[in-house]
Amino acid sequence: MIRRGPLITLAAVVVLAGIFLWANTLVPKSEGSAEGTPSPSAAASAAAAASPAATTTVAHALFAGRGSGDQAVVVIEINGPKAAAEVTADRHLRVDLQGSVHGSQLTLTAPNGTGLTGTVSGPDVFGTITGFRGQSFPFSAETEAVRAVYAGRSSGNEVALAVNTDGGKATAYVCNGKTLEAWLQGSVRDNQVTLAGRNGASLTGTLSGLAMFGTVTPKAGVSFPFSAELAPRPAGVFQARLAVNRLATRIGWVVLPDGTQLGVAASGTTSGPAPALDLGDDSFALNGASFTAAPVDGNDTVVSP
Amino acid sequence: MTNPQAVTQPARDQYARPLITALLGGCAVALLLGLYAKLHHPTRYALDIGGFSSPLYAKAWLTTIAAGFAVIQLGTGYRLTRRSAAPAWMATLHRWSGRIAVLLTVPVVIHCVYALGFGTYSVRVLAHSVLGCVFYGAFVAKMLSLMRRDTMPQWVMPVLGGVVFVSLIALWATSSLWLFATHGAHS
Repeated sequence: MIRRGPLITLAAVVVLAGIFLWANTLVPKSEGSAEGTPSPSAAASAAAAASPAATTTVAHALFAGRGSGDQAVVVIEINGPKAAAEVTADRHLRVDLQGSVHGSQLTLTAPNGTGLTGTVSGPDVFGTITGFRGQSFPFSAETEAVRAVYAGRSSGNEVALAVNTDGGKATAYVCNGKTLEAWLQGSVRDNQVTLAGRNGASLTGTLSGLAMFGTVTPKAGVSFPFSAELAPRPAGVFQARLAVNRLATRIGWVVLPDGTQLGVAASGTTSGPAPALDLGDDSFALNGASFTAAPVDGNDTVVSP
Repeated sequence: MTNPQAVTQPARDQYARPLITALLGGCAVALLLGLYAKLHHPTRYALDIGGFSSPLYAKAWLTTIAAGFAVIQLGTGYRLTRRSAAPAWMATLHRWSGRIAVLLTVPVVIHCVYALGFGTYSVRVLAHSVLGCVFYGAFVAKMLSLMRRDTMPQWVMPVLGGVVFVSLIALWATSSLWLFATHGAHS
């Protein structure tokens, strides 16, 4: 005798899983990082929004390359979840495509029917162009002077960090918003990121698609695995240097893609939480006076030799 | 005069094929879940359930409540192996506590697999990823073998139920317990 009860239970589990999986495909992927991010009403609003939310401005990821048979030159620009591309042949035939990025998958189309699909793999994009002068061909492109910001948290939400890359140079700031912080500086080679700072601080990471995965060590003996995402402004690192009560003070902030900020102010030998940064005009208040913080670039020197 | 034993004995011997099918089915589910989690590009974000301080805490509490129902299922399961002592409602409680427990884990596993994938960067995370596959594989094997419960030998349900229970508690320990211990047991 075959009992149906267990089969019904199994079916209920599969159906519920299917519902949650489908609901997840509707969620706009541009909304920040998963673990530790408070999002109480995100469930309701995310389910209602069927298309990816537009983000403000730019993390400039630029790729340039050619079709495999030299049929055309390809330039792809990625800004947050949106992507744009130009495919050019013989200097006078140019097709402009628009589309989006989901994870590391690019999908773009042009009004005349030309299409581009591709995968971002570290510093390269590999894919296929279809319907260009009646042809379909594979192409590859690599990063051009990438100036990008990757921001995220350690996997246990111990620290937040942001890494700025500018071509082959990179800087980063990691902190827990209380007393633990580190400024880091180093290089990006192929898709490997290697940074170092004072007191045994270091960061090693691998660029994969639009994300960076690795290990951050804010001080010797304290290591966390982390993941960070290519993020549009306001995400990034901000710095201010000023004198407070005649003590040289350095303040650093990490701003995450969802606008959350963590910062540490080091004054003389004591450290504490940083004052709130106004993301509209980069200003902050300390002891009643107003100051301006400066965004940090991959090219800056943040660790003095 | 008929010999009752001669009538029941042949039916018992036909459990081999359904049992192997159930176990292979469970293995297939475990393998597919692990492969999907490993190969799928983690989005680092997934739908979460409101009312908690973060998706991480939502998952931790859902898993904790599921573990509570699993303990009820274990207790009633034990009483059911002593068939003569079990009232009818115990079987119903056993089934329903199990159903509620596994349904509560569904949003959690979807979030884990979709947003985080099969993690290997620490022992705790690796154990959690493997146990997740084991739990759902054992659950499917248990459901499939329950379909032919009357032909199964006595040891099948306790063994499969035991694997389901132990893997769920270990999943809870490698996630919720770790979270509460490192970041506090609040909502």
